[in-house]
Amino acid sequence: MRQMLKQALLVFMIAALPALLWAQVPVSGTITDASGKPVPGASIRVKNSNLGTSTDANGKFSFTVPGKGGTLEISAISFKSQTIEVSAASAGLSIQLVEDVGKLDEVIVTGLATSVKRRNLANAVATISNKELTGGAPAQTLDAAMNGKITGAYINANSGAPGGGISIKLRGVTSVFGNTQPLFVVDGVFVDNTATPAGLNTVTAAARGGSSSNQDNPSSRIADLRAEDIENIEILKGASAAAIYGSKAAAGVVLITTRRGKPGQTKVSFAQDLGFVKIRKFLGARTWTAERAEALGGSDAATRAARKQEFLDAQAAGKIYDYEQEMYGEKGFTRNSALSVSGGGERTSFYFSAFQKDEEGIVQRTGYRNSGLRLNIDHRLSDNVKIGVTANYINSSADRALTNNDNNSVTLGVALSSTPSFTELHPDQFGNYPRNKYSASNPIETRDQVTNNEAVDRFVTGVNVDAIFQKSAKSTTRFIGRGGIDFYSLKTTALFPSSLQFQQVAEGTNVQGFTRSLNANYIVSLVNNFIASPSLNFTTSAGITQEQGDYNNLINVATKTVANQTNVDQGSALTAQQLRNKYQDNGIFVQEEVGIIDAITLTAGVRFDKSTNNGDPNKYYAYPKAAFSWNLTNSVIENSFFDNLKVRAAYGQAGNFPAFGSKFTLMNIFNIGGTTGLLVSTLRGSPNIQPERTSEMEAGVDFSVLKSRVNFEISFYEKRIKDFLLQRPVAGSTGFSTEWVNAGDLRNRGIEIGVNAQPIVNKNVRWNTNLNFWLNRSKITKLNIDPVVLGVFGNTLGTFKIEEGKPATQIVGIDGAAGVVQLGDAEPRFQMNWFNELTFLKGFSLRWLFHWKEKGDVINLSELLTDLGSTSPDYDDLNKDGKASGPARIANVGVSARQFVQDAGYLRLREVALYYTFPKLPVNFVKGLRVGVSANNYFTSTNYKNYDPEVSNFGTGFSTGVDVMPFPSSKRATFHLLVDF
Amino acid sequence: MKKNFISYISGLLVVLTIMSSCKKEIGSLNGSTIEELSSNATKFQLNNVVTGTESGMRNSLDFYLDAVGMIGREMYRFAGSEPRYTTDLLGGGSATLNNNTFYLTNSWNSRYRVVKNCNILIQATNNSSLVKPEEKKGYLGFAKTIKAYELLLNLNLTQNNGIRIEVANPDSLGPVVLYPEALTTIAGLLDEAKTDLTGSVFAFKTTLGFNEPAGFIKFNRALAARVAVYRQQWAAALTALNESFFNLNGPFNAGADHIYSTGPNDQLNLTFFPQNQNGEIRLAHPSYSIDITPGDDRIAKATLRTSAASLDNLTSNRDVWVYTSSTASMPIIRNEELILIYAEAKINLTQFPDGIVALNRIRTGHNLPPYAGGITLAALTTEMLNQRRFSLFFEGHRWVDMRRYNRLNQLPLDRAGDDVWEKFPLPLTEM
Repeated sequence: MRQMLKQALLVFMIAALPALLWAQVPVSGTITDASGKPVPGASIRVKNSNLGTSTDANGKFSFTVPGKGGTLEISAISFKSQTIEVSAASAGLSIQLVEDVGKLDEVIVTGLATSVKRRNLANAVATISNKELTGGAPAQTLDAAMNGKITGAYINANSGAPGGGISIKLRGVTSVFGNTQPLFVVDGVFVDNTATPAGLNTVTAAARGGSSSNQDNPSSRIADLRAEDIENIEILKGASAAAIYGSKAAAGVVLITTRRGKPGQTKVSFAQDLGFVKIRKFLGARTWTAERAEALGGSDAATRAARKQEFLDAQAAGKIYDYEQEMYGEKGFTRNSALSVSGGGERTSFYFSAFQKDEEGIVQRTGYRNSGLRLNIDHRLSDNVKIGVTANYINSSADRALTNNDNNSVTLGVALSSTPSFTELHPDQFGNYPRNKYSASNPIETRDQVTNNEAVDRFVTGVNVDAIFQKSAKSTTRFIGRGGIDFYSLKTTALFPSSLQFQQVAEGTNVQGFTRSLNANYIVSLVNNFIASPSLNFTTSAGITQEQGDYNNLINVATKTVANQTNVDQGSALTAQQLRNKYQDNGIFVQEEVGIIDAITLTAGVRFDKSTNNGDPNKYYAYPKAAFSWNLTNSVIENSFFDNLKVRAAYGQAGNFPAFGSKFTLMNIFNIGGTTGLLVSTLRGSPNIQPERTSEMEAGVDFSVLKSRVNFEISFYEKRIKDFLLQRPVAGSTGFSTEWVNAGDLRNRGIEIGVNAQPIVNKNVRWNTNLNFWLNRSKITKLNIDPVVLGVFGNTLGTFKIEEGKPATQIVGIDGAAGVVQLGDAEPRFQMNWFNELTFLKGFSLRWLFHWKEKGDVINLSELLTDLGSTSPDYDDLNKDGKASGPARIANVGVSARQFVQDAGYLRLREVALYYTFPKLPVNFVKGLRVGVSANNYFTSTNYKNYDPEVSNFGTGFSTGVDVMPFPSSKRATFHLLVDF
Repeated sequence: MKKNFISYISGLLVVLTIMSSCKKEIGSLNGSTIEELSSNATKFQLNNVVTGTESGMRNSLDFYLDAVGMIGREMYRFAGSEPRYTTDLLGGGSATLNNNTFYLTNSWNSRYRVVKNCNILIQATNNSSLVKPEEKKGYLGFAKTIKAYELLLNLNLTQNNGIRIEVANPDSLGPVVLYPEALTTIAGLLDEAKTDLTGSVFAFKTTLGFNEPAGFIKFNRALAARVAVYRQQWAAALTALNESFFNLNGPFNAGADHIYSTGPNDQLNLTFFPQNQNGEIRLAHPSYSIDITPGDDRIAKATLRTSAASLDNLTSNRDVWVYTSSTASMPIIRNEELILIYAEAKINLTQFPDGIVALNRIRTGHNLPPYAGGITLAALTTEMLNQRRFSLFFEGHRWVDMRRYNRLNQLPLDRAGDDVWEKFPLPLTEM
């Protein structure tokens, strides 16, 4: 290898030396967009070489072309590429770039190490640019910032708690009990997105047994990443695009590329946001009267009188409170500072950023803080060898309060649901909180004294090596190696002091979780590019991959704790729970891409994967893929109505390995009286468990008309999941409650239509608009076992049910004489988004994003709880039968679950932002100045009755869309200042 | 060049593939597996399973006592976030018992989980060559006794809808066996256990209160006596009593208990709530204090609250106060019940004087005057059931007793439209 490298280098140097020494052509100029605004960061390169520069903040560049000049290729993200010929020294070149409305020149990664321009792409790959991600009204976390921006995705926020917690499903449900969330890859590093519960279940008993459950409302770890650092996100929505990621790609792959430095003057940017968050809407509460208060006493005369008197006293003293307002009515201050420095020379470029975000929540003592550093360095070791290193450190902390379902009446919402406004919850002058007569906890006391914190220290680092070690006129062979580690330590702290109303039995609870997660992966591949003739080229790639994960979660629960002490040893009873996960997956892949006259692209590849999580850890599973795209404008059609017309089809398979440990039946620790005991687990393992297999067929047509000002992208897909994994309930008499099985097959079909257009473009006004429509339908096509009711709270209250011939996301429940019937479907009927950017008056830019989700049901049990607590705002309002609504709904409990299954469709103005870029700058060391205001979530139209139609009591798994007293969602308003130096 | 290059690439890939494909199996990281126990288990492993069995016996007992206590109109369980206690269990409005809801499935599955553990213990004992024969008998006798008791609790729930008895092989479960036949099998299992225990040696310690085989047989026979009265085999009940820890003049609370502690991976008694709580509470049914004879010290099991609590049109001003701390032990079977079983058997054998002696033992023990009512089968049966009601309050008997004597229609209904259910449906997963 070294021999060959040396030879190649020598040949190249000898060939290049004369040119380098003897001739040069200096060029300089400005690059602008259609409206004359400078384009910073555009790249100017001598075609087919590594020589070039990029523009500064004012769109200016100067550069010396060696030799006698040549063809310069000018490209910038979101503009069409252009070439100009230079043969003599020229200063003051003025180059106007045309916007790439249809993103046809965007380069899309199609293999593990290969890429293709969108105009030749066989899949509908969604991309989100930095501008789309952060240029509008930025959300708190990265996952939230993606919401409404991905065609084909169903993204749902679990709650409004600071620090996020978001479920992302691409093209329908790809798994029921396997992983439903896409794989996240940041600069080649597979990053972990596990949601780790904080052990709140110890106190809430939302689920029986164990200290943590999926109702603990944890955040998703992808939220740690900073949107500002991201250059671009590519979403491979299904197996046909993502097959080369093999067994991890069944739910899609989200490829994140972070920003890199560019050669040229060092650019320093500073951005400061200031703003506030408020609750999105209040629900209100029941209006109390003496009679209504009296009725709370039930049938006991003394109690009735006491309740009535309590109300009258409170009324007389003016002490009727709005507890909802007190609880969720805080206006949280938000700030976000980001500093980035980027630049570089011929051989080395860098991007450095430092940031801190600090946001208060809408509940006192809640909030989110995220600080971090990033350094990305690219170095050209020689003309043939490039090395890139990325390093990112993040420290985040989220105070999330105690919300969601519980069975001990301790979470804020559950306690409030049965607390009338006339009872006193505020502390007396000595700081003693009164006991809440109407619930097991005093929510004001809970808010003031309970801590629920998630703190993360995370380090993500990756290395890319790209070496050309063989180069001839027709063939180039590169070695591409990339890999990295993602390490984090997560500390969850849940403190419940002994003084709390609900801590009388436990006498203080201190739950501390320590999680250490290490993920490492590498891809080693060889890519050969062979140009057989000008109209025929081959790209062959082959390589191996390995991914390892090691997750270790230790939860310590101390009870009978010492007042005001937070160490876990400060108590008299201590119990611990540990959960470990470990896997190693190995893959081998080969892929061949054939390009014919820059119009037809054929791709075929296969990946072989094995995993230690499979029943047989040494068995390889093969995941093939094939794709075809034909750009008719480059070959068949000339000068027609269509500026660009492409037909495409792609097929691929991907897998989803079983969860760790699914092959074992464990004996759990169950002690008594200080003696160690073993009790069989409720989950029966399956020694023969197999991975799920997803195969996806996608076909589509893309075309551009009216001088590429209107672009269409239309796709159809069918995704079949074979042998989907299920933890099915088994007959309790087996001794088990559930067991792992490969249960059957399911199918998703869908349509995605995207239109982007530039309806107005002139010197003063430019309007880019982007309208997308998508829908998905799922169906269980085969079920080898009896229908399975999943999670939630049983037929009486509505539940999910996996049933052959029915949608995978159907919601069933009892309905009077009809028995158990389908009452709804969590799947939206369709979704649309509409993203716009309007620039006007030389410097103003208005961006807005609408997101419309049509239908899609949620099981609303929050309303049930307020009804049972007699506090619903419409409790006394007459319904259409002329009866009081609250009691009428209660009477229906156990008769029909229909009332809980509610339409959670919405039309939401997710983001709206107005920015102004100063054309003249006050001092010359400031190179750019921009100010803006933005609003996030400020308008929502929905029929859904609780806080937000986006909700999930059960977190990010399959059963999203269950509403049990979540942390209410918020809206944000922010002022932005951006300065470039 | 090209040819060399291709062979070079192939070579590299082969090397890397071999490197990466070294065999790897990551075992279970989060505990031992069933398989480890089934082949030649050591005494330590078997003892762990014994202890785990005893620990697991306590799982979900709060759900069991709440469900049985509510349907038997002994108490109310109010929960701010769980409506189905006051709707389904009491048949409020048109609500009925569901076959896939927590109040049934949690206890049902917990009991069978212990049965499974007993079956694992039996299998592991039989497969082990490291245990002496008499020690084996000890493990087997223990396992079968506990198994019989756990099956009985589930049978109490589903009664004539039956239970499964043969459940050792999860892939091939035995049939659902109906009430009388299931009781017979349970009685047979207890007898089998007694045979095993006779002449056995315990290589383990139990926490139930009987650490030697001789004592454990007494516990086994006490359970056999309970099963016998359920089967109306009065003479057999008396025989079993004689071999049990029954003591007509002994302390009421002597017997076998579940113990609780705050130790690691131990459990707390979840049927304990402090008095005068709100939201999550257990209240005595109002009829308890109305029906109790003035002066009866058993009123202490239903203490007066500072204020009454109401939910869903149900009100009571007394807390259930049977388990008075989170580590209070919970009886499995105790002498007071045995005295009442003795009374019941004697009354049904029309040996009324013996029956009255036993009833008076209960009455005087609770600060009541001796029995002065009618001396007929009907009158004494009513008196016996009444004493059982107050003596065994919130221990899971009232509903079962009233059902045994076809008196469910005598239980009070609190709201128009409420129902007293006779039995739980078989859980959905068993269909």
